Amino acid sequence: MAVASKYLPGAKKAHGNQDNEHELRQHLMHDPRPRGELNQMVMESMYATSWKFWVVFAILSILTATCFFYAWGYMIAEGLGVAGVMRPSYWGIFLVNTVFWIGISHAGTFISAILRVFKAEFRRPFTRAAELMTTFGLIQAGASIFMHMGRVWLSYWMLPIPNERQLWPNFHSPLMWDLLAITTYVLGSTMYLFLPLIPDLAMARDRSTGWRKTFFKILALGFRGTEGEWLHLRTAMNIFAFAIIPVMFSVHTIVSWDFAMSMRPGWSSTVFGPYFVVGALHSGMGAVAIVLFIMRATMKHMGYFIRAEHFDALGKLMLTVSMAWAYFFFNDYIVQWYGGDKWTDTLLHWHESGPMAWMFFSMLILNIAVPWLILWNRKFRQTPWLLASVGLLINVGMWFERYIIIPVSLTINRMPFTWKLYFPRIEIFLTIGTFAMFLLFYLIASRLIPLVPVWEVEEGQMAHSLTKVGRAVVPSVSEIDLTVE
Amino acid sequence: MESAVSEHITLLALFSDVDPTADGIEKLRELGVSDDDMTVISGVPLTEAMLDRPRPWSNVSRLALGGAAAGFLFGAFLNFGTPKLYTVYVGGQSIFPVPPGMIILFEMTMLFMLLATFLGVFLESYFPNYRPLEYVPEISDGKIAVFFKCPQDEQEKFTDALNQLGAESVKPAEARQL
Repeated sequence: MAVASKYLPGAKKAHGNQDNEHELRQHLMHDPRPRGELNQMVMESMYATSWKFWVVFAILSILTATCFFYAWGYMIAEGLGVAGVMRPSYWGIFLVNTVFWIGISHAGTFISAILRVFKAEFRRPFTRAAELMTTFGLIQAGASIFMHMGRVWLSYWMLPIPNERQLWPNFHSPLMWDLLAITTYVLGSTMYLFLPLIPDLAMARDRSTGWRKTFFKILALGFRGTEGEWLHLRTAMNIFAFAIIPVMFSVHTIVSWDFAMSMRPGWSSTVFGPYFVVGALHSGMGAVAIVLFIMRATMKHMGYFIRAEHFDALGKLMLTVSMAWAYFFFNDYIVQWYGGDKWTDTLLHWHESGPMAWMFFSMLILNIAVPWLILWNRKFRQTPWLLASVGLLINVGMWFERYIIIPVSLTINRMPFTWKLYFPRIEIFLTIGTFAMFLLFYLIASRLIPLVPVWEVEEGQMAHSLTKVGRAVVPSVSEIDLTVE
Repeated sequence: MESAVSEHITLLALFSDVDPTADGIEKLRELGVSDDDMTVISGVPLTEAMLDRPRPWSNVSRLALGGAAAGFLFGAFLNFGTPKLYTVYVGGQSIFPVPPGMIILFEMTMLFMLLATFLGVFLESYFPNYRPLEYVPEISDGKIAVFFKCPQDEQEKFTDALNQLGAESVKPAEARQL
């Protein structure tokens, strides 16, 4: 009697350990190089600038100067009348951009803090690239709030300092919660960016000359790598990793409360907090994919540090977050739809069949259909340009989502005689300006600080090894930092 | 007293791996160098257990806790103090509503805790420090340096012992501008 084969058709039997081991060596953690070589690669990636870099730098500088500084200066001089915001849409693109940039900023914390807490090893080479997005994203978010404010010179009124009437800010207002939460997040994430950077700045200091040497020397603060310095640094990084996570969640939750605490149709929703947080992660993950693709494609030696495995892991995260976003979107939608409130009903119809319906459906396609159709496939996830394209489309979709929530939803209210569609004016230039400035900051940072945390990569490579189990070679990780406080 | 100090010299032993470093430290202990007279400097964090070294003391977590307490108090002042200084009734809420107060307390507690943690690293590590320090750039290239004090007339004995255990070099340490 013939025995049926247990193998799938076409299945190959492994030839010893060689194939398996060769495949495992494709992973950064199992492909170690001497520390001196890693340092050299990172330093060269910072120093190597082609003419293309300067062309991009010039274009972004011009865009920042004109679309950000000149346009904003013009708006300050002329007043908010040059913007498209007016009744009933007093909140326009400025706040769309604020929510969008805060969303982008969530990726840094998520990748650096949450993945650090859960010891996800694939995070190591790109934590800093993600953390930089947090800091630069928050700068744009802050600038967008000040643009929205109009009379920026009165912004100090929000600070808790008594004026001549001894009148204090109202801390019961969601807008004050916003101020405190964003301030906490900006300061916290900037400190969290700087702490793990110190050892790499010291490394750069040891290998630089001229003005760069002075620059790195000042920022490295005299770090040498003594046992005490490492202990204090690691203790602080652990505290930050755990503490910054609830702060991150609080920031976007509080941003969502700016809307949800009101009684407007479409905004008054109890699920807005987690919906916004997941949305932030959705756009943030997509932005990380774009940044990693650009880094790998344009910076020297980045092919060694950023590999297919990293895009694969990021793609899985993006797919998971996309599913979570779809869940929260539907949760928010169905409750409003079922509620039957007249004005909410009108708003939902307006979303689906009004003049901005194209944006509503594009949002759903870009945020759900695109990632679901592409990211299920490992090969697709491991293709950098494809993952970056999905990331870009998700970000377009998430920007649309914020546009629909803010100016499009504000069009419909309980006073039909005020209904009017919002058309942005100077906001378009200012939006281009914030994007240009974000990219410009990133471009400058890529030449001033090591984008890859070399010591973290080396630490990871020290902890990883290949162990033989029976006939197979399997990867194993030692928790070498277990004894650190 | 002056002569007693000058009898000792600080040596720098450079190792390329953790195992010989741990062996070297053990040997130094056998030769009478106390843990307080040794300093290990490395380009990656090495735990005390790896090198069998005593755990250094760190106040960073205590400072963080102190910062959290200060932040909580500051949040309480913003929340309960400022409305008392100038009373304005808003939205039918009481002067001291608890639910919105939780948000202010949380944010201020976290902010001050993070600031205290950050400053704690500076205080504990004596940052910034731009004075000349004992250091060699090879450390950030992956070498592990052990600085230790030994009697000047026994320098050769220490050097030979560490060289036998795999030290790449053993030489007098020099303070240099980083």
